[in-house]
Amino acid sequence: MRKYMLKRILFSLFSLLVVVMVVMLLVYTAIERSSIFQTDDVWNKKSANDRVIYEYTMYSKYGYLNYVDYTNFIKSKYTELYGADYATSKEFIADKAAVQKSDWKDNESVNEFIQKYGTQGYKLRYLEPLKYKSGKTKPGGTGYLIAIQEKNVVWRLLDYIKGFITAENKNMVQDPELTDRYVRFEKDPYSGAFAIVGSGTQHKYLLYFDGRFPFIHQNWLHLNLGTSYTTYRGQEITSVITNPTGELKSKSQQYPLMLGTDQYVDTAINFHSLTYNTGVISDVEKSQFPDKYTVYSYNRSGLSMIENSFVIGLIATLLAYAIGLPLGMLNARRKDKLADKLGNAYIIFIMSVPSLGYIFMFAAIGTSVFKLPYKFANAAIPILAYVLPTISLALPQIGSLMKWMRRYMIDQMNSDYVKFARSQGLSEKEIYNTHISKNAMIYLVHGIPASILGCLTGAIITETVYGVPGVGRLLTNAINSHDNGVIVAVTVFYTTLSILSLILGDVLLAKYDPRISLNADKGGGR
Amino acid sequence: MSDKNMNAQNADLFRFIDRDEISSEKITAPRYSYWRSVFRVFFRKKSNIVMIVLLVLIFLGSFLLPLVWPYDPMENVLDAKSFNLSPAKAMAYYNGENPIKWCLGTGQLGNSIMYGIWSSARTSLQLAIICAAINMTVGIIVGAVWGYSKRFDAVMLVIYNIIANVPYILLISVLVYVIGSGFWPFVFALTVTGWLGIAYFFRTQVMIIRDREYSLASRCLGTPVPRVISKNILPFLTSVIVTLLATELPSYISMEVFLSFIGVGLSASVPSLGRMIQQGQTAFMTFPWAFWPPVIIASIITILLYLLGQNLADASDPRTHM
Repeated sequence: MRKYMLKRILFSLFSLLVVVMVVMLLVYTAIERSSIFQTDDVWNKKSANDRVIYEYTMYSKYGYLNYVDYTNFIKSKYTELYGADYATSKEFIADKAAVQKSDWKDNESVNEFIQKYGTQGYKLRYLEPLKYKSGKTKPGGTGYLIAIQEKNVVWRLLDYIKGFITAENKNMVQDPELTDRYVRFEKDPYSGAFAIVGSGTQHKYLLYFDGRFPFIHQNWLHLNLGTSYTTYRGQEITSVITNPTGELKSKSQQYPLMLGTDQYVDTAINFHSLTYNTGVISDVEKSQFPDKYTVYSYNRSGLSMIENSFVIGLIATLLAYAIGLPLGMLNARRKDKLADKLGNAYIIFIMSVPSLGYIFMFAAIGTSVFKLPYKFANAAIPILAYVLPTISLALPQIGSLMKWMRRYMIDQMNSDYVKFARSQGLSEKEIYNTHISKNAMIYLVHGIPASILGCLTGAIITETVYGVPGVGRLLTNAINSHDNGVIVAVTVFYTTLSILSLILGDVLLAKYDPRISLNADKGGGR
Repeated sequence: MSDKNMNAQNADLFRFIDRDEISSEKITAPRYSYWRSVFRVFFRKKSNIVMIVLLVLIFLGSFLLPLVWPYDPMENVLDAKSFNLSPAKAMAYYNGENPIKWCLGTGQLGNSIMYGIWSSARTSLQLAIICAAINMTVGIIVGAVWGYSKRFDAVMLVIYNIIANVPYILLISVLVYVIGSGFWPFVFALTVTGWLGIAYFFRTQVMIIRDREYSLASRCLGTPVPRVISKNILPFLTSVIVTLLATELPSYISMEVFLSFIGVGLSASVPSLGRMIQQGQTAFMTFPWAFWPPVIIASIITILLYLLGQNLADASDPRTHM
């Protein structure tokens, strides 16, 4: 059994890798990359060389290639020498102007640039300045020197795997000014309990308690599935789906420097989310924070995207099993009677009508007859907003469970064990409820983990119709906006869930029915 | 009367006939034709005839009506007053001129809903039939071999595990981006991996039948593999195939509606139910007449296809032929 599971998990990891590679091939090479500019106004406004440069910056942002601009190169070169005043230095101005001249190759910095990136395998490209005969530069005709490196699929995959899991340590922040580095237990002024606090780590609070489910939180290990470029600018997809949504929730709090005084302010800042600020600290921030951990997120009233989807999905699934299975059993017992006919009509309706049709029907009935809120954000009582989406998700699941339960029960009804039970004088109720249903459930047990884990992926139509801030539209939005990082991240997430639910389904099946053995060598028994 | 006498008398009643070797080999039983029995059982139910008539009417409507009622979604695009008119207002707006055209109101670009649903239904039906035909044919052939050959099974399982895990929406979106979103590219996108699920389902069914005794006996007698598959296994699965067809046909119509809804459907130049529903859903509370007609026609088509398919599947099970 253990050997089998190990083999199974290794194989799953392999197929996960291949899936990621296939998806990377699809999104990075199969789609013509210039299609990202189809609806881009900035691109339309730019012309000539400026447009080429804009294209390259966007390509590098979307993860197609590595791109270095000569101007950025000299910028960092002179920042090292002159600090923030680099822009006024004579050398910088002279070097910057060099690429606009015809003798650009004679410049020292230019040669340094060519030398550095040429040896690293970059392709160098010089965009000649476009000028009118009078010597004036044409619009968008500035000269540029750039270095480009295409990413290939294997490297992209390796880079992706390398950054998959990161653990925080006290040397993570690269800042020579920060000398006091530690990770230690401290009393947490915001929760009253203790917390693990770091300095030199990305997050300040690595482990802490608060009043939000599941009450203990960590910022130590990060799962980096991918970074969004367009839909959620620059955010990691794991934090996008786990950060709370909804309106800001203010309460009376103290900034770190106010602690110990009786000064309080109303703010929605979540002080447990502080991260290191690598930029410039403003004066206001200096008066509020003792250190450079000044970047924060806010407390919000709603659940996070994935919690929204999961709550709705889980309640719907539980309802579906609680209602669908007994109804399916009833239909099988009353085969060809009225109850069965009604049940069949419902099943046919759910199975054949396009889901969009009946979800809108439920929405129309729910809002007009039961006066339930339609759009999620407009609900006066927040909890009521969950009712219609949950019901819309549960009703089709009930139909499908009813259908299969009925089918499998009817298949079992003529079995020998049923005849035997009847001949032994068991009541019909006993036969159906304990014997037939138990055997019919064998076929359904396998799907239980899939339907529970599937809640984490959200429901596209339901969430869109009711405007639920959930994870269902993540993939479609990402595809529509060419958010390649998110597409890969979501694929990994979906694939992991689907593989996991298959394995769990098999284990559950083997536990439920002892006759089933997971070991492949059939006939041998143990 | 003596026995002898009687024998002589009876002998007149008999005459010798030639021994017929061929007919002595035949078993005299009523001729049984499988498909005739299937249709006898199928048409025994009166509701099936009603449904077939309805379906034929819808087919005729959607393939013939667009010829006399050409649908152009952009015909009134310059006339903003004609947008989103309720049926009564639309008929009033056009002064009772061509009342059938406006009897269901206008859509968000002043398009006729009545003409629209028929042209769109034609696209949906064509799509469903062509996709089902391609996917079922490829799926059943591959599935039959897949279930029969253990070596092929090992290879196909790896491929299946990988392709089944690539999100379907992603695959279709990428294909639509790469090859365009006209009718035929869309058919290609739906069929390029669509057969795999059918083949996998069919593989399991074939595996169950493969090791039955009669099939084993046939193999021992040296029947070649193609013959075992086509004569021993496939006929056994006729009702499974018909059941599959009953769920597959309507599923492509629902699939097109779903894909249009998320924005990767057919291009704007092809009228389709999915596009009409997608356009109608944005304001389905305020302009319900633009939303419900395409939903209803799509639902009627899918319900009819599903019910007829299920009943045909029931009828194609030989156990119901008694």
